[in-house]
Amino acid sequence: MSDYLPPIWVSLRTVLTATSITFILGILAARWLVRYSGRLKDILDGLFILPMVLPPTVVGYALLMFFGVHGPAGQFLANFGFKMVFSWWGTVVAAVIMSFPLMYMTARGAFEQVEPNLQDAARTLGASEWRVFWTVTLPMAWPGVVAGTVLALARTLGEFGATLMLAGNIPGRTTTIPVAIYFAIQSGDNHRAGVLTMVVLAFSLTSLIFIGFWKRRSKRKGMLGN
Amino acid sequence: MLRARIKRSLPGFELNVELSLERELMAILGPSGSGKTMTLQCIAGLTKPDEGYIELDGQVLFDSTARVNLPPQKRRVGFVFQNYALFPLMTVAENIAYSIRCLPKSEIRAKISHLLNIMNISPLSERYPRQLSAGQQQRAAIARALAPDPAMLLLDEPFSALDPQLKERLELELLALQQGYQGSMLLVTHDLAEGYKLGGRVAVYHGGSIAQCDTRQRVFSTPVNRTVARLTGVHNFMDGEISRLEPPFGWVNIPAWNMQLKAHLPASGLSIGRQVVLGIRPEYIQINPPARATNMIGARVLQAVEGIASVTYRLLVDGDWRERHLLNSLLPKADEQLLAEKEPCQLHLPPEHLIVIPE
Repeated sequence: MSDYLPPIWVSLRTVLTATSITFILGILAARWLVRYSGRLKDILDGLFILPMVLPPTVVGYALLMFFGVHGPAGQFLANFGFKMVFSWWGTVVAAVIMSFPLMYMTARGAFEQVEPNLQDAARTLGASEWRVFWTVTLPMAWPGVVAGTVLALARTLGEFGATLMLAGNIPGRTTTIPVAIYFAIQSGDNHRAGVLTMVVLAFSLTSLIFIGFWKRRSKRKGMLGN
Repeated sequence: MLRARIKRSLPGFELNVELSLERELMAILGPSGSGKTMTLQCIAGLTKPDEGYIELDGQVLFDSTARVNLPPQKRRVGFVFQNYALFPLMTVAENIAYSIRCLPKSEIRAKISHLLNIMNISPLSERYPRQLSAGQQQRAAIARALAPDPAMLLLDEPFSALDPQLKERLELELLALQQGYQGSMLLVTHDLAEGYKLGGRVAVYHGGSIAQCDTRQRVFSTPVNRTVARLTGVHNFMDGEISRLEPPFGWVNIPAWNMQLKAHLPASGLSIGRQVVLGIRPEYIQINPPARATNMIGARVLQAVEGIASVTYRLLVDGDWRERHLLNSLLPKADEQLLAEKEPCQLHLPPEHLIVIPE
């Protein structure tokens, strides 16, 4: 049994850390782009969604180049004695990049659905732009934001390709559940792969059921548009 | 006191208006798409004009030449939205308190109860907007807009979602509220009766500009052109030419009917030979009057539509078979028999109700 725990533990820490980061970055990016009306809007939007349509190995390769010994971020971080490649933080970075589009897209859609009159009303009542966001936009968009968070969380849990390329397979440090399943199959340990698969399956299904439940509850409370 | 000059271009539309308000309630009247709501948004700072100048109580809110553009937060302009835009996740009291959270707690409480009181919604303070009727929502929205003591109140079609009896009552309440309010109020409506009842002065919008802005009596009795007349409820028009002056009346020759009509002339100098349009409201055409008078013409009923307290007739004037001069009349239902279709009748167009519009 203790054999199964290290990947579960690594995944748990990665999922929680990465989802928290994605949550904040996704909301900030969504809020910024909803308000931004410059010429680069479509380009930025495409850039934010890009990781979702790229093969994970392509993202992994790009991250490896970026954070590698000769990459710009790699050289910068080396000044502080920090190495991203083959470290636990590598699993977090890969998971954040891959889950960010889901969070961003869902949050942006939720923000755009908030009736503009409500925000205008808050403005004429003297609320600063940040107060409008905290007291009107975010609460009204909250069901969508939560749905995006759950989707992002499921994506970080399932992240495999980019993680393997950037963080590798170091048991107890960078071996997440999906990576462990892959190497279990490779070495013929079907039982180990099966148990870990069941863990992921149970978790993902629970998340989806939770989203459905949450949406119904929010509708009753008058959120989620009209 | 508001002074505003606003220019804003959109593809296929240009808003270009000038407004000046004292401590009064002015109604903006006009068809949809004429720029009424955009004017309010420009004053509140929710939309930026391309060009112009807006000043409220001596404070410059917007000045395109001096590059001044105060954000809505700093304008002290209250806004009542068409759909009220109450915050759905806050109670009525929380909605009202939204703009005054910096005051001491006791003052906030006193202010909320005062506003709830004057808007007659005291028992509803802990309700959420979805638990309120449309009329209650409107009262809550006005209370919320008044909370920060705005220097001016803008109301965007506040009565359009209400049923007739409720609308009537809330209109009276708004007039009473205006009596005690120290700022200006600007109300947008497309309802003629509402505009007349509420607005001391009325600005008639058409295609992004103000066709006429004057006291309601003058706008409705002496419209400056055919468009204003039509927008203010004049449905019948006759082209003619002034043939004789008899101050304060004049005679207008109507070639299509081959007859002369006597009409009250506006003060401005109209001379003989001047092309004019005569207009008359449907309410003022009399059918089969008891005694003969001036301005009688023979006609026939084309269509009669019976309402609750009135009858609408479409009338074809004798000798005018081109059907260009159909008249619409709206009469209070009398005891006598309704006129049937095709029935001949005599029409009286009272000279004092004929509107003379210079072309």
